[in-house]
Amino acid sequence: MRNPLLAKFALRTLGRNPRRTLMSIIGVGVGCSIVLYMTAFTRGGNEMRIRGISESGFGHARIAPATWDKTRDSDLRLEDWERDLDIANGMAGVKFTAPHSRTTALLAFGTRVAGVEMLGVDPSSEKNISRLIRVLSEGRYLEREDEGAVVIGTAIAERLEVELDDDLFITIAGAGGEMKYAMLRIIGIISTGSRTIDSTICHVTLAEMERLTEYPGAGEITIVFNDPSYIDALTIRLGELLEGPDPAISWKVVVPSQGGDMGSDTVFMNILVGVVIVVAVLGVASAQLTAILERKREFAVLIALGMKGGQIVRLILIEAVAMGVLGGAAGLVIGLPFIYPAATKGYNFADMMGGDFVAEGVLFDPIVYADMGMWLIPLAFAVALFSTLVAGLYPAWYALRTNPTSALSLREA
Amino acid sequence: MNTNLVDVRGVTKDFDNGKITVNALRGLDLAIHEGDFLAIVGPSGSGKTTLLNLIGALDIPTSGDVHLFGHDLTAMSRKRRAGLRLTSLGFVFQAYNLIPVLTALENVKFVLELQGVDGGRHERAMSTLEDLSLGELANRRPNEMSGGQQQRVAVARAIVSRPRLVLADEPTANLDSENSEALLIMMRELRDEHGMTFVFSTHDPLVMAHATRVVTLLDGRVVSDEVKNAGEAAGGAN
Ligand SMILES: Nc1ncnc2c1ncn2[C@@H]1O[C@H](COP(=O)(O)OP(=O)(O)OP(=O)(O)O)[C@@H](O)[C@H]1O
Ligand SMILES: [Mg+2]
Repeated sequence: MRNPLLAKFALRTLGRNPRRTLMSIIGVGVGCSIVLYMTAFTRGGNEMRIRGISESGFGHARIAPATWDKTRDSDLRLEDWERDLDIANGMAGVKFTAPHSRTTALLAFGTRVAGVEMLGVDPSSEKNISRLIRVLSEGRYLEREDEGAVVIGTAIAERLEVELDDDLFITIAGAGGEMKYAMLRIIGIISTGSRTIDSTICHVTLAEMERLTEYPGAGEITIVFNDPSYIDALTIRLGELLEGPDPAISWKVVVPSQGGDMGSDTVFMNILVGVVIVVAVLGVASAQLTAILERKREFAVLIALGMKGGQIVRLILIEAVAMGVLGGAAGLVIGLPFIYPAATKGYNFADMMGGDFVAEGVLFDPIVYADMGMWLIPLAFAVALFSTLVAGLYPAWYALRTNPTSALSLREA
Repeated sequence: MNTNLVDVRGVTKDFDNGKITVNALRGLDLAIHEGDFLAIVGPSGSGKTTLLNLIGALDIPTSGDVHLFGHDLTAMSRKRRAGLRLTSLGFVFQAYNLIPVLTALENVKFVLELQGVDGGRHERAMSTLEDLSLGELANRRPNEMSGGQQQRVAVARAIVSRPRLVLADEPTANLDSENSEALLIMMRELRDEHGMTFVFSTHDPLVMAHATRVVTLLDGRVVSDEVKNAGEAAGGAN
């Protein structure tokens, strides 16, 4: 190092008023830990949201007909779903795929009716991507060979007052616009724990759907990636591989209200983080300024000796860096005891709000786990160093303006 | 007049404190020669510190000019004046002017570091301390030294880079006569052995006794300039 004494000077200065230095470090540490905690929770919340959306059968992305995004017409079908499925299954980073087809249907039993969106599934693929179908209160889920079979949610079963093995009378608007009728036997009743979701579930096989509607094939292919943090990039990659008329779209397009919420959450969090950092910066800056004012005579002597402005700024910024490093470490020490339980035990929002965590057919897990990882360490030091360096700027500028003539006489000091 | 280390010509210095203007210096002329051991005396408020500030390139005059080693200070930028102070001037202030968190040795080394001296900083600083018989204080911090010891370390810091001119504002003001005497003898030896030039402002008769030349200020002007012969001046030293 070219200036070993400058560094020594700066570091020992921190020890001159240990109480003030400690308080500044704790101040930075507390601010830093709040930022870490909020970031860990926001990241955990986003993960939970994406997991909830994915596991509710929406996946991370889907291949959908070109006009679906605009019309949201459930009768649209993919141009060549089997080719699309092969491409998706062949792509690196894709974990699961599941083709779906949909139509609106009226279910009737005796004099009771219920309108639903009926879903055509490939039963084995569906088990991979959706947790909604994992718990059946009665019967079993679909198999590929099933014919004339339907699985419904408990809420629908209660409304229609039906039981396992009852035959439902189905009315749908098929291809060409004419009404079609069929009888389907209930082979399973699903209970997700959410009445809202249970009142929407009505699954048949893809082949059944084709027979009923006479629309061929699948209406979309739902994709689950290995790593949810690369959804956007992987979706774009998939779109490029497809090269076809039917694009790949991410869950943000499929469930736009969920994507929008996330955006506003992030903005809100950034504002909070900004406020916390500003408070920390002002606190440290005022402590630093006081320290510089107390050392006014010392700076006058240094300037009188011929110390250059750049060296004085460096002196103060080395102090700031040291304080930032200690503050970042303090942030981790203060923050981790709060983040760790939040990451392992989670925070149960059901206790606080009660009821279902359902929006637009997405069943959320009411327990949010904070995201704890190595990323906390660089974030802690970045936040702390940013705060102390910014806080050091005004005191440094102030020290630079010290008039060296005050070094000569005690009167002016 | 080219041999003059410092030339102060027709200098005035006004301080403007809002409503009132203080005329601290009112047309002052002074030439300082190589090897002077000069005491500037005069009553409080006569302008001694103000004059030292000008000679030390810490401030510029309101009118007139100050030449230091032939450079016109009034024409120099702040930055160049800082460079000149760093390389060619040594300062000893009244008190409390060592860096409190550095040891005696580090304080002396620090000046060399600021100057960008690359090799042998430690050896140079240590030999300067030893030359001044301060070797055993090397690892003490200022608060572990007496006022007299601190002032002698301050002299070591001022002379380590062999400046041509050392300025000291009331260096003995906070010292008892014994410590003052020791400090003066030390500086006098540096002047005698290395031809360094010293300028003091002082109220202390002891400083005047050691000086080779005494300049008296009154109301911002030189009222007397008395050169003493070497034997008389050195009398206290032997
Ligand atoms: N920065 C300043 N602002 C206003 N007035 C000043 C300033 N510096 C000095 N003065 C005034 O200039 C005059 C000369 O001051 P100076 O400090 O040079 O006197 P001095 O001879 O050093 O006195 P002392 O023996 O008390 O140290 C005084 O009247 C003083 O009040
Ligand atoms: Mg004075």
